[in-house]
Amino acid sequence: MNTNKTNFKTMKINYINSNFMKTSKFLLSAILCLTVLVSCSDDDDTPSQPNEEEVITNVTLTFTNDADATDIVVLLSVDADGEDGPLAPVQTITGNFTAGATYTATVNLFNAIENEDITVEVTDEEPDEHFFVYAINGLDITLTRSANDVVRTDGNKLGFETTWVANTASTGSLTIQLFHESESVDDSNEFGIQSGGSADVDITFTGVDIQ
Amino acid sequence: MKYYFMSLMLFVFGLHHAQNCNLTLLGEVKDFHDGTPITAANIYIKQLDKYIISDFDGKFKIEDLCKGEITLVISHIGCETKTTTINMSGDAYKTIVLEHHIEELNEVAVKGSTYRNTTKTAQETVLKTSTIEQYSRLSLGDALKEVSGVSSINTGNNIVKPMINGLHSSRLLILNNNVRLQDQEWGVEHAPNIDINSANQISVIKGAGALAYGGDAIGGVVVIKPGRIIRKDSLYGKTILGGQTNGRGYNLTSSLHKSYKSGWYANVQGSLKQNGDFEAPDYNLTNTGLQSQSFSVQTGKHTFESGFELFYSYINNEIAILSSSHIGNVNDLINAINSREPAIIRDFSYNIDNPKQEVTHHLVKGKYFKRFKNFGKVNLQYDYQNNQRLEFDIRRGELNNEAALDLTLQTHTLLADVNLDANLNHKFNFGVLARYQDNHAPNTGVRRLIPNYEKYDFGVYLTSEWRLNDKLLIDGGLRYDFNRVDALKFYRISRWIERGYDEDFADIVVPPEDGEDFGSDLLANPVFDFHNISASIGSRYDLNSNSYILANFSLSSRPPNPAELFSDGLHHSAARIELGDLRLNPEIAHRISTTYGYENTNFNLSVDLFYNAINDYMYLRPTGVLQSNRGAFPVWEYEQTNAKLFGTDVTVSYDFADRFNWRNKTSLIKGYDANDQPLIDMPSFNTTNSIRYSNNNWYNFSASIQSEWVFEQNEFPDFNFVLENPSTGEEVLLDISTPPPGYHLIHFQSEATFALSNTTHLNVALGINNLFDTSYRNYLNRLRYFANDLGRNLTLQLKLNY
Repeated sequence: MNTNKTNFKTMKINYINSNFMKTSKFLLSAILCLTVLVSCSDDDDTPSQPNEEEVITNVTLTFTNDADATDIVVLLSVDADGEDGPLAPVQTITGNFTAGATYTATVNLFNAIENEDITVEVTDEEPDEHFFVYAINGLDITLTRSANDVVRTDGNKLGFETTWVANTASTGSLTIQLFHESESVDDSNEFGIQSGGSADVDITFTGVDIQ
Repeated sequence: MKYYFMSLMLFVFGLHHAQNCNLTLLGEVKDFHDGTPITAANIYIKQLDKYIISDFDGKFKIEDLCKGEITLVISHIGCETKTTTINMSGDAYKTIVLEHHIEELNEVAVKGSTYRNTTKTAQETVLKTSTIEQYSRLSLGDALKEVSGVSSINTGNNIVKPMINGLHSSRLLILNNNVRLQDQEWGVEHAPNIDINSANQISVIKGAGALAYGGDAIGGVVVIKPGRIIRKDSLYGKTILGGQTNGRGYNLTSSLHKSYKSGWYANVQGSLKQNGDFEAPDYNLTNTGLQSQSFSVQTGKHTFESGFELFYSYINNEIAILSSSHIGNVNDLINAINSREPAIIRDFSYNIDNPKQEVTHHLVKGKYFKRFKNFGKVNLQYDYQNNQRLEFDIRRGELNNEAALDLTLQTHTLLADVNLDANLNHKFNFGVLARYQDNHAPNTGVRRLIPNYEKYDFGVYLTSEWRLNDKLLIDGGLRYDFNRVDALKFYRISRWIERGYDEDFADIVVPPEDGEDFGSDLLANPVFDFHNISASIGSRYDLNSNSYILANFSLSSRPPNPAELFSDGLHHSAARIELGDLRLNPEIAHRISTTYGYENTNFNLSVDLFYNAINDYMYLRPTGVLQSNRGAFPVWEYEQTNAKLFGTDVTVSYDFADRFNWRNKTSLIKGYDANDQPLIDMPSFNTTNSIRYSNNNWYNFSASIQSEWVFEQNEFPDFNFVLENPSTGEEVLLDISTPPPGYHLIHFQSEATFALSNTTHLNVALGINNLFDTSYRNYLNRLRYFANDLGRNLTLQLKLNY
């Protein structure tokens, strides 16, 4: 910019004499000035690759039978390219619930792009700003928030650790949602109710089986 | 006829001076700047020792002159006296231009005086200082709505983007003191970075007629001018202090102007504004505060022959965005739309929380001009703009304090412009423009909405103006622009393939250097060159002294902007994914328009008609729904269609009784795509009527009542979605298309001016907006899904001129 200002002044001196010929010189200097200007500009180096710190690519719900540690049901949703990538999330269900059994479930949130576990950010660092909400459709299963669940400052349980009683054989869907900055949350309905929050996670697993 | 008659009258005095001389000098006295005739200029003919006076059209005639030199001394109130010598060898015609200062003063102090149009044949409306001052607490976009056919597209109430005949953002050029604003204007949520208080006059030019400013003004041009320079020893200033109940806001602006007879001058101006959460009639609009600081300084020397100017302006805006508008996915949006009330309503606060924007804009300009006798005027201008835009979102943990969007846009522009006006019946203007722009987007932990890029623009233009006779004026212009965009952008490989870029743009992929691994990304280096031709031709025909007709055709061409090319990501407040397209072509508009104007002392009418055919019109269109771990998001892609827009704007002002005035402004616009489907975001039919009582004998008192009637937009594209709620299996409608119902608002405004001394005046203005506290939503407000618009607002403004 300094360069330009200097040129500017020089030009003024040049054109104190008014005559037509100088006009062309005037324009010439203008073009010259630009050349200086462009060459002055710092050529941008390659930008740094975006680090996508907020993306949750893998959401895992792991249910373990309280009476039998080998009876595990895993619901996994993998969205390899994040929320705005074109790939749809791939959901896999490993194992079936056993009718009459009680399961304890925990959630894992992972960012595979940055290889970063996000769970602790929710459970340890900011439980007061988050809330899990669950929903079922067609499944005969009962949900309670575990005694070991993370408790928010307002007394509501986060919904990170939950207890599920599989009642009778049935097939249906299970939805997990994680809300951020909710205006109000309520765990008196164990599935959870919130208002005003924005969804960080919203996944429905279909074809969940109780046998 | 009148002209000859008056000349005859004037020259009765000169008749006795008959010698053996028979030469005639016809003359015309005009304002130097805009060529308006100067009536009753005093012309002293030195050799004859006679005085004559120019007639109503600024013309005069001196007969029976002898061969040889004749010296004229021309003077007029408020003008610099000018002496000119003419060598008479035959009958001659001479145009004399005067530097007309008094009108500049009028612009500041007196209402209803002559103001200066920027163009001759385009559909142009000028907002005067007195109008601008009423918007001191608001923004440019609010003030421009005074012009029939100008509306705005809003994000809440503090982000107001002007819209001319249905077009906005990149389709409008905004010039601040002859510098084209470069402030990421492609974004609908990016309001122009201008302090309305720095403007002394604002011209709105519909269409692309003003080619000297750019060839891509498909919608129009907004020209903001600071106060004109007065060449006399003076010092004056102005302070405006205002307060409003809604948002509990205040605004303060002050300016000081110093000038010398030698031509030196200096102006300083600064403004402060703040408001907290606004209120809709039934609830608080949580997180809608604003903080704004701005400052500008201008200095230089201005004489008839030459001059220079240095100008610097700074503006910083911190704008909160309605909390309830931050949504996670499309289900949140459905809930928000269906609940009819914002989810977050808290007590009043001045706090500005996330989501918010913080934008800083610096503008530095240096200008030099020199006038060459019998040739014209040469201008050289350099300007530099630095625009930093930070957008904060609601994010997890520490990231919440870091901007999700961080863009620094730097622009250097060099402009050389030559005005050939030696022959006032046939003027030429040509110029060359060169611009370099650099956009820098650091890593913010979120994929960049707009990549790093460098842009080079080069433009040449020629405009010309012919006055064929007293009644007919024709102007025309031609412009060529070259644009090069050179970007570096990381694409997700999955997105790259989904777009089909792997087939069409394989050659622009930059392979990683040794030791580098881009993982699931790839780096692309798109370089695009665009060649654009624009042209305009227009005419003004004066039917008689009261009425005229304007006709104009313009061809304009706009290359795709960075958002249209490169957008690639989630737009939070809209819960949608927006995708640009590297294959977009420039859009080309053909606009024809005509205006009928009638003016007399108590009745003014202006009727504008236009038809704008835009080939390859770029717009966002929903194309599907994308599922993710975060839920579903509609995908909106930039597409092109052949669009047509047409409509009419009417302004009427009528003094129907002593001290009473009725004013109406009405506009109707229709826009359709190639399949005759309506275009999105078109303003609906609206009509504003006001009745004003004014009494100049009683402290210049005036009071007016205004009715603003906005109809429901009944033509809109159906971009609604039916989504299945995955947990319940129910189908739910995402109704993002249906416009809200029409509304009718009543506003009240009154003011009076008190003279505190000979040079000091205090103006007190009291206003009530939305007098009946009506609840309404505006189709052109992007936050209409989430909350009602503003309720009643009482405003008080004190203005001190000194």
